[in-house]
Amino acid sequence: MAFKTLTACATMASALILAAAAAQAAPKTVDGPGYMPECFAAWDDDTAHFQWAAKDGPYKVAVVNGFVGNIWRIQMIKTAKAFVEQEEIAPLVEELKVVSVGTDAAAQMGAIEDFINQGYDAIITIANSPTGFERVIRLANRNDVVLVPFDGLLDSKDVMQVNEDQYAMGVMSANWLIEHVGNSGKILEVRGVPGNTVDRDRHEGFRSVMEADGNDFEIVEVVGNWAPGDSQRVTADAIAVHGQFDGVFSQGGTNGTVQAMMAAGHPFVPIAGEAENGFRKQIAEHADEGLKGLSYGQSPGLVAISIKAALEALQGNVMPQLISVPIPAVDFETVKDGENFWSNLPDDFFTPNEFPPCNVNITAPEIMAESEADTQ
Amino acid sequence: MSAAARFVRYNAGLILAIALFAVIYGTYAVLHPNWGLNVVLQNANESLALIFVGMAQTMAVLVGGLDLSVGPLMTLTNCFGSIVMAGSGGSVLAGVVGALALGAAAGFMNGCVIVYGRIQPIIATLATGAIYLGCALILRPTPGGAVNGDIAWAFTNDLNELGLTFGWWEDLGPIGLLPMQALFLAAVIGLVWFPFRATVLGRGCYAVGSNEQAAYMSGLNVNRSKIAAFTLGGFFAGCAGVYLTLQMGSGNADAPQAAEYTLRSIAAVVIGGTSLFGGTGGVVGTIFGALVLRSITFIFRVIPAGAALSFVADPLLQPLFEGLILLLAVSLGAARVLRVKNRLSLFT
Repeated sequence: MAFKTLTACATMASALILAAAAAQAAPKTVDGPGYMPECFAAWDDDTAHFQWAAKDGPYKVAVVNGFVGNIWRIQMIKTAKAFVEQEEIAPLVEELKVVSVGTDAAAQMGAIEDFINQGYDAIITIANSPTGFERVIRLANRNDVVLVPFDGLLDSKDVMQVNEDQYAMGVMSANWLIEHVGNSGKILEVRGVPGNTVDRDRHEGFRSVMEADGNDFEIVEVVGNWAPGDSQRVTADAIAVHGQFDGVFSQGGTNGTVQAMMAAGHPFVPIAGEAENGFRKQIAEHADEGLKGLSYGQSPGLVAISIKAALEALQGNVMPQLISVPIPAVDFETVKDGENFWSNLPDDFFTPNEFPPCNVNITAPEIMAESEADTQ
Repeated sequence: MSAAARFVRYNAGLILAIALFAVIYGTYAVLHPNWGLNVVLQNANESLALIFVGMAQTMAVLVGGLDLSVGPLMTLTNCFGSIVMAGSGGSVLAGVVGALALGAAAGFMNGCVIVYGRIQPIIATLATGAIYLGCALILRPTPGGAVNGDIAWAFTNDLNELGLTFGWWEDLGPIGLLPMQALFLAAVIGLVWFPFRATVLGRGCYAVGSNEQAAYMSGLNVNRSKIAAFTLGGFFAGCAGVYLTLQMGSGNADAPQAAEYTLRSIAAVVIGGTSLFGGTGGVVGTIFGALVLRSITFIFRVIPAGAALSFVADPLLQPLFEGLILLLAVSLGAARVLRVKNRLSLFT
């Protein structure tokens, strides 16, 4: 009897939920520009703008990470924790929950759905797969939950997403190299993980400038997988085979590239690369010997921007569907110890964590202070 | 010995797996702030592909081997399904049947390589697994494919939602709340596994797994049983691939994911009470083994922040604790095997 009653109640409850869900169609598509456009810049002119119904805070936020196992992801998790402890953010966040689901997309979707069912207000994720999330997007929108994929994006226009423009990073690197090398010469390009969209976009952005009319470059291409070890090995090989280069573009693991050049006795040349602390240390140390460097960064701090975007959306502010976060970059003239790199922190620490236009300013010591044993 | 006592004795592994699942999932359900039918549905959705892959692994383990190709085979059928099923109703059916047939065919190939090539299953399937993953990459170099959203949605929800989506029926009452995943699983178990186990071929798998020489001397066709076991394993992996296609609505030749499913399938088999020595256990236990595995990960989502045990849910410590709980669960499942002096006593 009790079971029957329970079933009947559950049926009615789910019917009610379904009816309520059918009535809502969140979020609304509205005209731009969005809130704080200097931080939450629309990706391009065609980007739609979303507005959710404003909810009262404080909010429950979940971060559904994929695999945890490289320094970038660990730093990302620490950054999320440090961000919600900041003075302006803490009152808005009732609870932050972080789970790492591994490389299984089904488990990731399940975790997202679970947090929707638990009544969380915002869910931040790095998608394990660019496709297959239609179900959770549908559920999130039905339940007025703000779902924000960042870094690993979804092929969807129905969900608010946050990233840096990888193509623009390639363009930026190419323009900077041309400025310091000239319009011709022999260039080494160290690429990232093959088949990855980030690698493809950075490469295409880079080539679009380098191969434009008026430039005459010989570009040698090797694959370094964004890992210092791999990038060091392939750079050493490239130097052995091709001799001297006039400039280098190393997508990631750039400190390994520089290490290989030093080991081979290759003279310092202009080099554009990622934002590992080690690379910036090398720039600071050897800039006057000719190591002119440009260091841009795909920052683990994107998680903070994503959380902030979700919190703004929950307060009813208009947000672009695809948010382009400004690329944090420094070169040999602006690199400064204790400010945009840290000589006392490990080489694999990712330096860019501060986004002044977004009012997101988490310092490296704040991130490193978040111990692994800390929970919240 | 009474019938009940005999049932317990023969199914100790299964009963242990069910008990473990009840404890772990019960904890999750109690801690979940909004536990209800939609959460059950979500959990079922998350678990079914792993259950099928675990069932595929069980077949290899029953005949005394390990199958490292179950994850890649699931990925291959997923990619195949995502290509054929993206279209109208007819091609969805064709995709399902085709993917299942592809799975069975690949399993048959595994069996032939092992039996006629006389190669250890673990090595043979390491190689064929790489082949299947390679084929999957050829079919889907980048993730994609779009299975009809309504079909994908309807077949991964409950019966009512299926009727609502296509206008077949309005509300079936309590029956309508049955998750589709349970129906799929019941269909595969009832229409494929139980009939298979009742045949000479099926019983032969158990005989081969417990003692191949004895099975041969008893006049059983050892080769045929082994090939049948791997073929059925391939079919189960195909079921996983088809369900993943419905669930994701797309295909993705994701190598890390394939590897993760393969490893987890072995854990699911062990927790489910199937001996890694072969010859004892069955796919029903594996279902609960897979559910135990999944429930362990569910728990991390609901541990409240202020609780005494909340350090367990620290994001960076989750893999550690997941591993520890897994080790405990596997040890419980295997304890029975370790305790016996003579393996034969497991069968008495």
